[in-house]
Amino acid sequence: MSEILIKNASVCDPFQGIDCEKMDLCIRNGKIVESVSSKAKVIDAKGRLTLAGGFDGHTHSAGKINVGRFMNPNDARRNPVPGLSGKVARTEKTRAQVGYNTPNTYAIGYRYAKLGYTTICEAAMPPLSARHTHEEFKEIPILDKMGLTLLGSNWQVMEYIRDKEPEKLAAYVAWALKASRGYGIKIVNPGGGEAWGWGRNVSGLYDPVPNFEVTPAEILIELGKANEKLNLPHSVHVHCNNLGHPGNYETTLETMKLFEKIKPSQERQSLHVTHVQFNAYAGTSWRDFETGAPMVSDYINQAKHLTFDMGQLIFGPAVTMTADGPVEYANSRMLHEKWSNQDVELEDASGVVPLSYSPKSFVNAVQWAIGLELALLVKDPWKVMFTTDSPNGGSFVNYPEVVTYLMSAKKREEVYSGFSELALGKMVLPEIDRELSFSELAVMTRAIQSKMYGRPEKGKLTIGADADIAIYELVPEKIDPSVEHEKVKQAFSATAYTFKDGKLVVKEGNIEASPMGKTYWVNADVPERVDSAMQKDLELKFKKYYTVSKSNYMVEDEYLPNPVEITTKGDF
Amino acid sequence: MPVIKNAVCSLCGCLCDDITVTVDEENKITKIENACILGHSKFQGMFEHERIETPMIRKAGKLVSVSYEEALETAAKILVNSKRTLSYGWCSTSCEAISKAIQLAEETGSLIDSTANVCHGPSALAAQEKGSPGATLGEIKNRADLIIFWGCNPVHAHPRHLSRYSSFSKGFFVPRGRKERKMLVIDVRKTDTAKLADKYVEIEQGADLLLITALRSIINGHEEVIPEKVAGVSKEELLELAKLMKEAKFLCVFFGMGVTQSRSKYKNGDGVASLISDLNQHTKAVMIGMRGHYNVTGFGQVATWETGFPMAIDFAKGYPYYNPGETGANDVLVREEVDAAIIAAADPGAHFPQKALRQLAKIPLIQIDPYANPTTELADVVFPTAVVGIEAEGSAYRMDAISIRMKKLIETKFKTDEEIAKDLIEKVRELKRG
Amino acid sequence: MQRVNLSLKEKNKIPLEAETLTPDAFAGKTEEEIKALSVWYGNEKRLLGDFFKVEVQGCAKPEETKILIKGDLSRVKRIGQGMTAGEIEIYGNVDMHCGSNMEGGKITINGDADSWLGCEMKGGEILLKGNAGYYVGSGYRGEACGMKGGKITINGNTKDYLGEHMCGGEILVKGDTGLLPAISNNGGTIIIEGSATMPASEMKKGTVIIKGKVSDFLPSFFEEGCEELEGLVYRKFTGDVNVGGKGVLLISEGSLKTEAKKKK
Repeated sequence: MSEILIKNASVCDPFQGIDCEKMDLCIRNGKIVESVSSKAKVIDAKGRLTLAGGFDGHTHSAGKINVGRFMNPNDARRNPVPGLSGKVARTEKTRAQVGYNTPNTYAIGYRYAKLGYTTICEAAMPPLSARHTHEEFKEIPILDKMGLTLLGSNWQVMEYIRDKEPEKLAAYVAWALKASRGYGIKIVNPGGGEAWGWGRNVSGLYDPVPNFEVTPAEILIELGKANEKLNLPHSVHVHCNNLGHPGNYETTLETMKLFEKIKPSQERQSLHVTHVQFNAYAGTSWRDFETGAPMVSDYINQAKHLTFDMGQLIFGPAVTMTADGPVEYANSRMLHEKWSNQDVELEDASGVVPLSYSPKSFVNAVQWAIGLELALLVKDPWKVMFTTDSPNGGSFVNYPEVVTYLMSAKKREEVYSGFSELALGKMVLPEIDRELSFSELAVMTRAIQSKMYGRPEKGKLTIGADADIAIYELVPEKIDPSVEHEKVKQAFSATAYTFKDGKLVVKEGNIEASPMGKTYWVNADVPERVDSAMQKDLELKFKKYYTVSKSNYMVEDEYLPNPVEITTKGDF
Repeated sequence: MPVIKNAVCSLCGCLCDDITVTVDEENKITKIENACILGHSKFQGMFEHERIETPMIRKAGKLVSVSYEEALETAAKILVNSKRTLSYGWCSTSCEAISKAIQLAEETGSLIDSTANVCHGPSALAAQEKGSPGATLGEIKNRADLIIFWGCNPVHAHPRHLSRYSSFSKGFFVPRGRKERKMLVIDVRKTDTAKLADKYVEIEQGADLLLITALRSIINGHEEVIPEKVAGVSKEELLELAKLMKEAKFLCVFFGMGVTQSRSKYKNGDGVASLISDLNQHTKAVMIGMRGHYNVTGFGQVATWETGFPMAIDFAKGYPYYNPGETGANDVLVREEVDAAIIAAADPGAHFPQKALRQLAKIPLIQIDPYANPTTELADVVFPTAVVGIEAEGSAYRMDAISIRMKKLIETKFKTDEEIAKDLIEKVRELKRG
Repeated sequence: MQRVNLSLKEKNKIPLEAETLTPDAFAGKTEEEIKALSVWYGNEKRLLGDFFKVEVQGCAKPEETKILIKGDLSRVKRIGQGMTAGEIEIYGNVDMHCGSNMEGGKITINGDADSWLGCEMKGGEILLKGNAGYYVGSGYRGEACGMKGGKITINGNTKDYLGEHMCGGEILVKGDTGLLPAISNNGGTIIIEGSATMPASEMKKGTVIIKGKVSDFLPSFFEEGCEELEGLVYRKFTGDVNVGGKGVLLISEGSLKTEAKKKK
């Protein structure tokens, strides 16, 4: 039995309505408890900011990121965020680290832990290559992990929608989650992945997918219904059509509106729209391109059924990686950049393209502003998840920088004062003076994730919660983040302490221990009758079209050394 | 008698996973169904080739049997005393073993490289220039109406490729298989694969990049810069070839060592990637490397996620450093700069140039392998191991980077590569602690 | 003025990583301090003094520091890496990465240099009296930009990929080059007095002048007539058409057998 008493913590826990209040935290066997014995190890937090462990709900940290590493060995040489990037020799406690946007697996674990993060969600996992994602998960130390299963261009999904077989569709979704050990449904550019199989794309919600007689709107709505039928802990997680195109905010709004009629099966959103920065563009071309954030945030402010994440841009090199194959090809041609592509049979597409965002580019400057505009114009922080869509908008190691953008209007001004008049005329950011409190920041970086993903043991410090705790090197009442943003950045760059399941993993910015984290996956129960009918169709797919046999397709137990199976029961 | 279905063949990069294997009461494989002739020989070879029976150490010039513990101690001492060890091979083994090998290299400040050094390594360098526009093999099976084999001969090297994944396979949009697909072979000689093709283009030795450049110029709309003959191919034929490519609905270029190891090496793969990108302005095109060893792709994957780099990784300074041409296995052997070597699941004795072998002969060499091979003649410590994919399970990556779990089919007395690497790590730590 | 004489005590086989061997690191230091600088020898961190005899005269800033190195340095890597000023004169062969990322000053090598000479250099000058290996003035693996400034002069021959991804600066090779010199040139100037095979592939911009024999001319250039330069007549090409290139490739009249096509 291990016990720890953290004294004098300045706790900020939005779930309990605790806003930087001095209190003690008791830990026993990896959980927050009411009290501990006198034998407990005592740690004096000295009034420093104490939050639940951070939870990155949308990151590309296992699977496709390997393509990024593979094609960009030069990333290993970069060290723009000292302490959180670059080459680090092995020590007795840590493996060797390398990279910035595409760090090796060990560096991902250590660096997130240094930032006070303890859980990550890999945003895109095609079932056929899910084993690979889990193999990387095994080598990411410390963090708890989950992966979202890509289903938005899947043949079996599209056929069931076309054939109006909602029960079989739900059964297939349940099976795909089980086969891939996935946590939820990811939809990327619905139908676009299949169109990309022929070098094409879909142009919007009602443009039918070639050869499958379904529209992106149907894919979205039917997967949304299946999600709720299966009582999944997370909602569908959607990367909208037309990502990266000027004028795409209209598609984004249409997508959001589609879900007004979907009733969530749990106390959470029925739709999560991801990296909206890339999907909130107005204008008709790159010439008259401008922010669409006001229109999108106006809608979100009155909507009750959705959450979104920022996909904030960071200036400097980034690596885009997405199942949106056509977008990546277009990027590579436009920017004359390297291009990797991996279309996955019967399932989806994907691509990887490195690029660099510059404040001198008016497009990049406006993109930078849009992410912040969205986060600041949407009034309720319980709708906003903090992300950079790492490493698409930029690496997660820049989160401390993004924290300062959100907490300090002065910091924002320092950045945008370097923009061109042209860029400033296309954004509304300079008119926004809102500055987030620590409490609002805690919502966006850990609390909302707990609610969104249905993980009540995460993102809070209530009795019974996982003892994932981050203590930052700052005393809330002694700092004015609006002015002292550099101090805030420093504090958020390396925790004083990070605890993972009650174990001290980071102390004063140094890795103390690297325990193996858990992997969450969802097993949704489907009645035998529906499942066996679906299996017949699936057998045929494997017999005729897949190049891997069905039994070798399922991710085996060996790949989840520390699994947490979440069971749900479908409504059939 | 147990019958194991959907076993995975651990021979080539096709990783066929539809093999049926029958095992008798005496732990012998008695029947192998669905495998090609090469796969058969792998499963059968188990019982035909002479296995290394026990750990061995070279004493007074001769390899003599010793205990596992003694071999381990001797090997660990070699590693601890070395200033620059080369760890090489690790392609005909599981990803789990590769992971441990990388950890061992990291902890001993060694260099680690895979057999890609002598086959598809240039494909990685090409991807680092231009990326790698690919697809899984099922995409080819289901969609491709034009399949190009360039500098490769699957009929001999990947015998089931044609029927399972490419020309002869049937797929969703290509229900009649070969009848609906065109097959084009580009090579320097008329191979048996070329004999099956609809069209064969013979090019001059080492002229791949000239041909690629000419095709790109035509596809990008500049046929006026093309002279009457390029790479031994007439302009007329080049124009026809470009037309064939542009008019395909979905084409795949499968490329082999004829592309990666001929003159201009990685710039050929780089050129093919650019050609694929250019072609996507007109149609859908992808490329896939015909990887040889069944898990050479896996080495690249594991090394990339664990060190950031796919091969030729130097841990001398405690962090990974990568620069093929400087840190590749042959680079450091030819320059005589390594003072010890550990070689697993590979046979440089049969594949490396003389100069590299001379260096291997001079330095202490640890071998980990199920079978004796020419490298054994140079070895000072030998660990026999289980045959992965038959006697040991674990992950391997197919040529299209799909991970598949190999099964254990029969029992064995041998330790696995993974266990040996783990034990070496422990032993090295013990010696370092003193 | 500070003068530092180094001589290698004994030829080594395991390479030394000697990025500390620069005027920047030596300037103002005593003999003992220079000996105490660290170098990597395989997986061991050692002292410069373990391998070199060191003599120091005077004490000055980097720009007034001159280093003379004697011995077979063919296993001493990274001499002059990142140097910003001063001078290094080498009597012997040098190993890889000599003068890589150099920003100023001068390196003279009275011998041969191994690969990656002057890689990604931004300024300064390298004079190589002998032959060079691969990737002179190029970019490292995966980088989009090689040499950006400065000048490299090579009296002998080079191997393949001379000036790959060059974005600026100048390279003059008096001897022959290997395969694909000036590949992906994006703004550099390369003059080759000897032969070249498949030059200027994927050149976006910059100038490449070849006086010797050209083999395997790539079919991706427009011929734009003739140009006279310092009394010599060259055939002028532009390209590479496959990257929308605006680079200029001048090939001495009579050096090229292949007939390229005239622009429409």
